[in-house]
Amino acid sequence: MLSKSDQVTTQQQIDFLKVTGLTKSFPGVVALDDVSLTVRSGEVLALLGENGAGKSTLIKLLAGVYAADKGLIEIGGTPHTFHSPSDALDAGIKVVFQEIALIPEFTVAENIFLETHLSKSFGRVPWKEIQDRAVDIFDRAGFALDPNSKVRDLPVSKQQLVEISRALAHDARVVIMDEPTSSLTPSEVANLFQVIGRLKSMGIAIIYVSHKLEEIFEISDKCVVLRDGKWISTKHTRDHTQGSLIKDMVGREIEDLFPRSERSLGPTMIDVSGLSTRARLRDISFNVRAGEVVGFFGLMGAGRTELAKAVVGYEPILSGSVKIDGHQLKPHSTSKSKALGIGLLTEDRKSEGLMPDISITHNMTLAALQNFRRRGFIDENDEAQKVGQFVERFRIKHSALSQPIKTLSGGNQQKVLLSRWLMFGLKVIVLDEPTRGIDVGAKAEIFALIDELAAAGLAVILMTSEMPELFGLSDRIYVLSEGQITAEIDGNNATQEEVLDAAIR
Amino acid sequence: MNLLQRIMQSKLGFLSLVLILLVLGLSIASEKFFTSANAIAILRQASLVLIVGVGMTFLLISAEVDISVGASLGFASCVVMDVVNQTNSLMLGAAAGIAFGAGVGLINAFVTNVLRVNSLIGTIAMMMMLQGGVFIFTREAVQNHHQLPHFSKIATGFFWGIPVPVIIAVAVALLGWLALSRTMLGRLFLATGANQKATRISGYSPERIKLIAFVATGALVGLSAVILASLLNAGQPTAGTGFELTVIAAVLLGGTSLMGGRGTVLGTILAVLILKIIDNGIILMRWNQDLQIIVPGVVLILALYIDQKKQGSSYA
Repeated sequence: MLSKSDQVTTQQQIDFLKVTGLTKSFPGVVALDDVSLTVRSGEVLALLGENGAGKSTLIKLLAGVYAADKGLIEIGGTPHTFHSPSDALDAGIKVVFQEIALIPEFTVAENIFLETHLSKSFGRVPWKEIQDRAVDIFDRAGFALDPNSKVRDLPVSKQQLVEISRALAHDARVVIMDEPTSSLTPSEVANLFQVIGRLKSMGIAIIYVSHKLEEIFEISDKCVVLRDGKWISTKHTRDHTQGSLIKDMVGREIEDLFPRSERSLGPTMIDVSGLSTRARLRDISFNVRAGEVVGFFGLMGAGRTELAKAVVGYEPILSGSVKIDGHQLKPHSTSKSKALGIGLLTEDRKSEGLMPDISITHNMTLAALQNFRRRGFIDENDEAQKVGQFVERFRIKHSALSQPIKTLSGGNQQKVLLSRWLMFGLKVIVLDEPTRGIDVGAKAEIFALIDELAAAGLAVILMTSEMPELFGLSDRIYVLSEGQITAEIDGNNATQEEVLDAAIR
Repeated sequence: MNLLQRIMQSKLGFLSLVLILLVLGLSIASEKFFTSANAIAILRQASLVLIVGVGMTFLLISAEVDISVGASLGFASCVVMDVVNQTNSLMLGAAAGIAFGAGVGLINAFVTNVLRVNSLIGTIAMMMMLQGGVFIFTREAVQNHHQLPHFSKIATGFFWGIPVPVIIAVAVALLGWLALSRTMLGRLFLATGANQKATRISGYSPERIKLIAFVATGALVGLSAVILASLLNAGQPTAGTGFELTVIAAVLLGGTSLMGGRGTVLGTILAVLILKIIDNGIILMRWNQDLQIIVPGVVLILALYIDQKKQGSSYA
């Protein structure tokens, strides 16, 4: 099947997938405007841009999910028009979407040959043949997969390999990966990069979409940046710096992603000792001083979110104590913790943070409502004025303060939720993955804000799985592994190896 | 956007428009409609539904519901009558009715918050217990043995030419409107329904907020029971049958979301009036009385359908 790849002509090798002037409009918005790009066989092209830049529209056009209004898609020199995802697959393009589209109850082999065997042999399924062919693909690509295990039982990283095997089974020549590492652990990421290396050597062209710039530099050969639906730049990755990439994506220079103002440390604001929970946390002790940013790093499942929720009284604890500014958090509830001056910015904005259909104003003032009470009633003038100040200070892009918060971008939503606590006035703030799903431009603003908060004397607890964020912001680092603190490291002298080593301990 | 479109776009505007059209249409169709006697009859009819509707608005906004209000209304009316009979005190009777209703609300809140039983199921169970329980309390209707002259005035009396139940309902609605739109508690009802987890993270107890909504609804059922007992001059165990459906239909028609997080007292007021005027119209037009139940059903589906369409178009 792959013998073809050994014989590709030079012309095809040069530009295997060629997209010219691709345009797609939706009512009221041009999502993709005259975008062209080429990918060669065995090349990894990184597709970059902020949310709304047009990346997903472009991917969906290539996957045959949408039909283009204008423009040409050529594969190996032949023009193609896609009317459905199966057209794209037949032409050799396979997309591995972020949300993996496998049937959990089916086996690996069944999933790989889903379309093929269902359409080609009514009723009778050639089990043996399917298995053999699956094993054949795994051997060639070097995947450690069992064709007979149920997809449901596999971790996301393996499910991705099943998706990629599906691409290989269909003889795909272009594989598009949409944020493939968003839910992988570092060792799984390393594994995926090896797989990508193998696909390259098989002559497959790869389009790689990711927010994580370090990954782009590690894995890609070429970068295409989109902004507001338009093509901005195409360059070899080696000719880019982190700064030049961000500048292309955001449209302006970002001086310093992680500003560090002079922070003077005050008294200990939170002192946690011997904290354990039923689910995972064991004997956690740490402290944070006023004006200090303390980062917690941990791999998925290390217990970061659980710790964040336990110290603000959201999740019950089994034993141990939490002291805020010298006062015991008892009873263990969020109303008590708020009264003591600690609050949580949740990692799960959608299900634990936003009131999606409700106005920006009411979302922002939820925690601070008592500040606006005058003789039992809410002083709406005072409220509107305060909201106006925060909107201006954090440059929250909006059309009206009465607009539902769901209509804002992720970054602006996050700024509203952060304002929710700042308006109330805290001593300790717990930030759980504060930049998840947020554009680079807005990220930089939030980093600057965190620095500003610490400089103003707030104690900041930062839960993160992003190394650059951890090192860029933290004065001190705690590493979590399987519910326990395995290391405490000075943020200025920490190395990645040291942190990772403690994270897998 | 022209004026009509703008009215159609706003929920309250739409309901007001329907109300005005109904009044105009019925005024033309029947000369008996636009008379003060008829207006008073409609308002008096509307008052019981509105009083409980205010509490139910709080509950639905907080993403909970109480199906037991009808059964509780009948039971409470018996309690009111019985206590007045025994004590010869109007105040004690009223207090007992309100306390009974609030107690039912308290149990509903316990079942929902502590036992974690879905309130739809929990309050249906409560309805069954009350429907059965009332017959253990009294085999038949509790008759008036006290002959207090003021007792019947609660339902039939006038103050400044306005029926007393209407004054009570307006006062309840006004307080409910203020509470929902101007106070922290109102914001927290909305927040709890819109996102319970976010409300908890923001330092509030959704359980406490729901407790308030359940108990307020229960107490308002008790208040209605006082009026009902006065109106019937008896405690009638089955008097509340079907009442819960009318109340919930009105609150939903008024634009309160069954999923919580959205709703207004003003919408509930307009919807109660619409339903009661339709009722009244059917009687005046001498149509088949069974339509009194059928028409509101049709109206409710139509209203929610129109709402769906509007929602779909505005934030697609």
